[in-house]
Amino acid sequence: MGTVAASPLILCIDDEALGLQIRKAVLEQAGYRVLTALDGSAGLGLFFGQPVDGVILDYFMPGMDGGQVAEEMRRHRPEVPILLLSAYINLPSEVIQMVNFTVLKGEGPKELLDKVRQMLEMLHGGGGAR
Amino acid sequence: MNLREFNRILRQTLFLPILLLLALAGFAAWQIMRSSASVRAIDRSDELSAQIVELEKLIIDQETGLRGFQLTGDPKMLAPYQAAIDPINHHFDNLHQLMAGRAKQTGRLAEVRDRYQIWLGLAEGVLNKDPATLNDPQLNQHGKQLMDNVRTALDDLLQAESRVRKRRSDATLILERHEFAALVLAALVVGVFLGLFTRSRLHRVSRAYDATLEELERQAEEIYERRQWLQTTLESIGDAVIACNNDGKIEFMNAVAQSLTGWTGQEVLGRPLAEVFHIVNEETREEVENPVEKVFRQQTVVGLANHTVLISRQGKEYVIDDSAAPIRAQDGDTRGVVLVFRDVTEARRTEAALIAGEKLAVAGRLAASIAHEIHNPLDSVANLHFLLASEADSEKRAEYIQLAQQELGRTMQISRTLLSLYREPKAPVPVDLEELADGVLLLLERRLIQQGIQVERDFSEPSLVEGFPAELRQVFTNIFVNALEAAGKGGRIRIRIEPVPAEELRGTGTMVEVTDSGPGISSQAGENLFQPFFTTKGENGTGLGLWVSNGIVQKHGGTIRIANSSNDADLKGACVRVYLPAHTLASTATRATAHVS
Repeated sequence: MGTVAASPLILCIDDEALGLQIRKAVLEQAGYRVLTALDGSAGLGLFFGQPVDGVILDYFMPGMDGGQVAEEMRRHRPEVPILLLSAYINLPSEVIQMVNFTVLKGEGPKELLDKVRQMLEMLHGGGGAR
Repeated sequence: MNLREFNRILRQTLFLPILLLLALAGFAAWQIMRSSASVRAIDRSDELSAQIVELEKLIIDQETGLRGFQLTGDPKMLAPYQAAIDPINHHFDNLHQLMAGRAKQTGRLAEVRDRYQIWLGLAEGVLNKDPATLNDPQLNQHGKQLMDNVRTALDDLLQAESRVRKRRSDATLILERHEFAALVLAALVVGVFLGLFTRSRLHRVSRAYDATLEELERQAEEIYERRQWLQTTLESIGDAVIACNNDGKIEFMNAVAQSLTGWTGQEVLGRPLAEVFHIVNEETREEVENPVEKVFRQQTVVGLANHTVLISRQGKEYVIDDSAAPIRAQDGDTRGVVLVFRDVTEARRTEAALIAGEKLAVAGRLAASIAHEIHNPLDSVANLHFLLASEADSEKRAEYIQLAQQELGRTMQISRTLLSLYREPKAPVPVDLEELADGVLLLLERRLIQQGIQVERDFSEPSLVEGFPAELRQVFTNIFVNALEAAGKGGRIRIRIEPVPAEELRGTGTMVEVTDSGPGISSQAGENLFQPFFTTKGENGTGLGLWVSNGIVQKHGGTIRIANSSNDADLKGACVRVYLPAHTLASTATRATAHVS
């Protein structure tokens, strides 16, 4: 992971601007490249336009919610892993089944980074590289 | 049998015996008359016989006189002869008259007279003869012969008459016997008839009496049964029932009332109601006016004030709900008062539990927002700490610390707002409704943003009212959430807060008007909005929100009106107008919701 080209590209979508900014800083510190979007449609634009390796998606958002965004992503690029981030526990089960991981807001950055790593490993495992 | 019939029978039993006895007396009189006629006939026979004997005596006197003259030639001796002539004729005439109509006796009498006339002829001849030849034996013989004939005829007559008399006497005896028998028979018949008649009439009267008795018995039984039925019905009523007379004394009390008051049915009868039905105000413990007196004063149905507590004989307390009504007879006169009440202690507890539950439900409805509001900043703070741990650049560290503080501040604000839903002062305090509305909106911010709902705040100036902020916050949370849910995605809500001047029935205060762009309220739903358990949200609503909110606002002396917005082209949904007076009537004692300190 030494080169810039080798570091994974993560798309981060959250309507909470400040939280998004801080989360981006955390992920960047962990060595990832990060793209951010403040709502679902902007996020989907980036998802289709960029070679995204993984998605960190907030569930509660104005406009499209996390479930709708994930469904759209799955339809076009089902191989890209999605991590659903939410402050709310009782998420619809079909949404949870659709995504690869869920992390509760407030569980802390370590948990988030762990799950991101697992997510990317899963992708590389599927592609034959580790 | 009616009275007329009874009087008729009385008349019958009086007059019929009188008539019958009169008839019997008539019959007896007729019998007596008949028997006296036959007795008179015997008397006539006796008189005839006496006259015949008299006649015979006179004739013998005449003969004796004649014989004396014949023997003596002395005309003086003829005196009896002469003297008898007239009486004899008179007797003959008399006898003839008496025997008128009796042919045989008249015949015999005529025979006697004829023979007498023959003798008299001889006697006259003797008188005219020469006195010397007077005593002629031949003549004497002849005279004797003639006189014997007369006597024989007289005896015949007499004997015939005595035969007649005997016959008559026998007949009279038989007649009297018959009369006696007839009278006895008639008396017997009348007696038996009267007896039977009286018996039949008495039977009728007694039958009627029996029937009347039976009817009375049946009616008495019916009345008793009806009374029992009413008694059982009253006893079986699930509510407590006490009936008082016009003096306010207890006349009836059913089982439920007995168990609530702690008195038994027998010992309360005749006691004044106030002694048994002891009620006080739940809060102030002051005596509540005796409902019976109130009914007498107002002559109408009265209900008890809220928060009335019945204290039983044993000191047990029941919150009761009751009404008292005058008992009116058919003529409209008040005959007493009936009191119906029930133990609502459990119902009140349930209500209190529902209200407390609704408070929690409000918090529950905010759960998603609260989770976001708290977890989002907490997440950021955790991330910032993570960054701080490996950040050497002091400028960046300062920025991270500043950001963390900012996020922590937001968390604390949310947490305070949330807590203020529960924390309540003891007495009403000034509440800035705009601040309060903003606080509620803050809790709902996430949902509003997520749903893309525009909120139009039209707050003209600070509006202070007296009240309990936590309760009011609950009211506005309910109303705002309703508006938010009604408006739906991309909808609009307008919140207008403005002071309102005093009006006829209310003082100065503040009006909070919440209008949404939703579908509005159906007229059917409109009628039930403030009823508990009425909801238009299916399983997502408890149906208690507006019911509790209404209670809170009313307690503050305010009102909630809900209508469909009509004066705004953009916002055609429901328009909720909450009026709160500047000075509240609410006190800690009347606070509707359970207090959590």
